[in-house]
Amino acid sequence: MYKLRVNGLSAWFQNKQVLFDIHLEFPEKKVIAIIGPSGCGKTTFLRCLNRMHELTPGARVEGKVILDGKDIYSEMDAMEVRRKIGMVFQKPNPFPHMSIYDNVVAGLKLMGIRDRKILDGIVERKLKEVGLWDEVCNDLKRSGAQLSGGQQQRLCIARALATEPEVLLMDEPTSSLDPASSARVEALIRVLKNNTTIVIVTHNIQQAARISDFTAFIYNGKLIEYGETKEIFESPKDPLTEKYITGRFG
Amino acid sequence: MKNISKIIFLENFFKLILKIATLIIIVIFLLMFYSLFERSMPSLMENGFYILFGSSWDPNIKLFGGAPAILGTIISSAIAIAFAFPISLSIAIFYTEYCPLRVRPIISEIMNLLAAIPSVIYGIWGLWTISPIIKLNFQEPIIASIGFIPLFSGPAYGLSIFLASLILTIMITPIIASISMDIFLKTPILLKEAMFALGATKWEVLRHVVIPFARRGILAATILGLGRALGETMAVTMVIGNSYIWPFQSISLFSPATTITSKIASEFPESVIDLMHNSSLMSLALILLLFSISISFITKFIEKGVKYR
Repeated sequence: MYKLRVNGLSAWFQNKQVLFDIHLEFPEKKVIAIIGPSGCGKTTFLRCLNRMHELTPGARVEGKVILDGKDIYSEMDAMEVRRKIGMVFQKPNPFPHMSIYDNVVAGLKLMGIRDRKILDGIVERKLKEVGLWDEVCNDLKRSGAQLSGGQQQRLCIARALATEPEVLLMDEPTSSLDPASSARVEALIRVLKNNTTIVIVTHNIQQAARISDFTAFIYNGKLIEYGETKEIFESPKDPLTEKYITGRFG
Repeated sequence: MKNISKIIFLENFFKLILKIATLIIIVIFLLMFYSLFERSMPSLMENGFYILFGSSWDPNIKLFGGAPAILGTIISSAIAIAFAFPISLSIAIFYTEYCPLRVRPIISEIMNLLAAIPSVIYGIWGLWTISPIIKLNFQEPIIASIGFIPLFSGPAYGLSIFLASLILTIMITPIIASISMDIFLKTPILLKEAMFALGATKWEVLRHVVIPFARRGILAATILGLGRALGETMAVTMVIGNSYIWPFQSISLFSPATTITSKIASEFPESVIDLMHNSSLMSLALILLLFSISISFITKFIEKGVKYR
């Protein structure tokens, strides 16, 4: 059962093509890692999956991304897509003008949920899920920007999870975190995949091997190889993939 | 090897120049304040609060009431801000969120040009072009339909406090708009994207991210516009009609009126032979200066209070 199917996806910045005809399928409730050297287009690829790419002025997409049988580009509204496909960014970006509480419920408020009891319940549940509850439960009114980097990123994950997205996109979520915080986020990802399909971009090959079920290797905007993580790492079919995962370039 | 003592000397010399430059500004401000105060004293002693609250101004019988001019300044600036604020924000929001990239430079260039036009040109344009148009197409129909409301009663002169407010609006809109544009563009893109990624529409991103972030800057831009409106002299003098009937004899916005600046500009030459007349104009100038100072103090105060949300 495929949650998300990418069909002939190409993307451009102005006239510069950065993704070339990518075909991929993401199984439900699995972790899929996107790896590749810097500038290969992996972040752009991720941003095409929830229609964030088109927010960049001059950016353009062609092809289909099918979520549960519906093309997110032609059959769905961008806001609807982004509600179903959540995103966590490379740099933790909690809203500094909002409290921890308001950060978590920001997406719910956009959906029109204002019932205090419901919101309170979701805040507690989501903060517990990301392991932040014990650290912040006494000062939910504090600004989200006052937390440490690792805490901020977990707050952002809680914010993305609050609206119960079916797919969670993570763009190098641990690259700006210390090792201990990274480990916590990785542990969190393993738990989250019980309910959610997770697509994670990472430049950390070991991380991809540790946490993902499937791995896609992108190079110069082209999908070089895609398959079960075990296979990709143990017997890559393409010599480029082998070179990359053994650390000979990138 | 450079001579150490020479370097230290240069360093100190440079510091001294910076100190002197700063000191000069402070001294000039204090001197200006003092001389205005000194020249206002004769009138302030003689007229007391009449200069603030009095409604008649007749140098021949030594009547120097400044209320119509003071009110003219306040009301024309207030109306101008009330018009310019929403227009400027709309322009800035369109520019940063909706305008195609290719059109952007055209808009920002036009804003800069409009902000740089000398005020006398706005004055001439208001006097010869806008005044007759407003009179014919706006004032007369309004007076004919709702003229029974004192605020909109006739006759239509064209030149009026309303026209002055309108010209001020046109003058300060580019200032407020172009500063607001810069401020909106500085909203951290990461935070806008975070809001978009939660499924927000453009409007929701504006409301929950862009505007909360720009609040202080917009306030500062508005205050700058207000300062320009309060102090604007030439354009206002040319379109306001310089009459003392507003607001005590006719409260209508279509009535000619005056402001502190146009009062001073139009009467200063004749006042030099009459100490009390001259000193009364100086008192008005002092009041205007106090206005500007208190506005910038209030701004500081508000800025401290308005953190995010």
